[in-house]
Amino acid sequence: MPTKEEVFEKIRTALVDALGVDEDEVRPEATLVGDLGAESIDFLDIVFRLEKAFEIKIPRGELFPEDVLTNSAYVKDGKVTEEGLAELRKRMPFADLENFAQNPVVQDFANLLTVADMCRFIEGKVQVTG
Amino acid sequence: MRFEGKTALVTGGSRGIGRACVAELARQGAAVAFIYQRNQEAAEQLVAELQDAPGKVQAIQADVTDLARAHQVVDSLVEQWTRLDVLVNSAGIVRDGLLGAMLLEQWREVLETNLGGTFNYCHAVVQPMMMQRSGSIVNLSSTAAEFAARGQVNYAASKGGIDSLTRALAKELAPRKVRVNAVAPGMIATDMSQAVRSLAGDKIKDIIPMKRIGNPEDIARVVAFLASDDAGYMTGQVLRVDGGLSLGGY
Repeated sequence: MPTKEEVFEKIRTALVDALGVDEDEVRPEATLVGDLGAESIDFLDIVFRLEKAFEIKIPRGELFPEDVLTNSAYVKDGKVTEEGLAELRKRMPFADLENFAQNPVVQDFANLLTVADMCRFIEGKVQVTG
Repeated sequence: MRFEGKTALVTGGSRGIGRACVAELARQGAAVAFIYQRNQEAAEQLVAELQDAPGKVQAIQADVTDLARAHQVVDSLVEQWTRLDVLVNSAGIVRDGLLGAMLLEQWREVLETNLGGTFNYCHAVVQPMMMQRSGSIVNLSSTAAEFAARGQVNYAASKGGIDSLTRALAKELAPRKVRVNAVAPGMIATDMSQAVRSLAGDKIKDIIPMKRIGNPEDIARVVAFLASDDAGYMTGQVLRVDGGLSLGGY
């Protein structure tokens, strides 16, 4: 059973390997896209590495539910609708969506996920101690 | 030997072009696993024929239309080899017929085997190849994807799909140093093209500028080139290997 620190360490290693960033760039508040330069293929790479590091299966779209953003039922005029926000909150309990919800422009969504969100996501999947 | 220390998986490996690819890669030093669906005797015969090849060869029974099985096969090979360098998607079938008389089953079976099988094995190798930051996928297309033939809407559509899949996947995986290319054979002497060759007789040679039917080894050598580091700066390409058949003109 890993500690929270061990979870962070493994995530940091996965991000360093997947994104080619320096260890000290991987801070809890760093955003994956804006600060660490992740692109869509990187999210898949990160998921693969997290699966291996934690010996878990992560269903595609669970960490980053792109399908909501490409679903016309949830997007209108380039913004996520109330229904879409409700779906995102349901699917991403590990992320703080409140800032995004104030002006939910689809293009800004990619930049909200932080390293801390990712730690909470993994902590929800593996039992942690301490 | 271009593939010494490398590992390769070939679908549709017990017959035709796939079989020639298995032999070519093994002779050039790769450890090769190949997928066969039904013909266990042909698979065992190929393993026996290549027992003295520099690369060790093993046969695996699987249905390429089964995605879960594709992942199982690839996962077990990566566990055994620790890496997978090459995937050749060669499994393919024909079920020719004029569209107006084509059964839905003929359409589905060809699309699911040729295009679906290619998708399934690409899907299964993406994780190990992305993580190892290297790999080469070679898909078997056909000149039929671009040049119309009566009675082959299903086959042509499946091969056209493979061309498009090849280009799109190449773009996705290029940043991870995984290359994806395709080879489009023309008229090749295999069991699969037997019916067409029988119908057309010698006339078919007359329309091929090089005046001969290709053999599976002609294709396998190009597949091996694309799979190798010699093609290290090529991705998203479909190479026609057809003796000039697709050149058209007079």
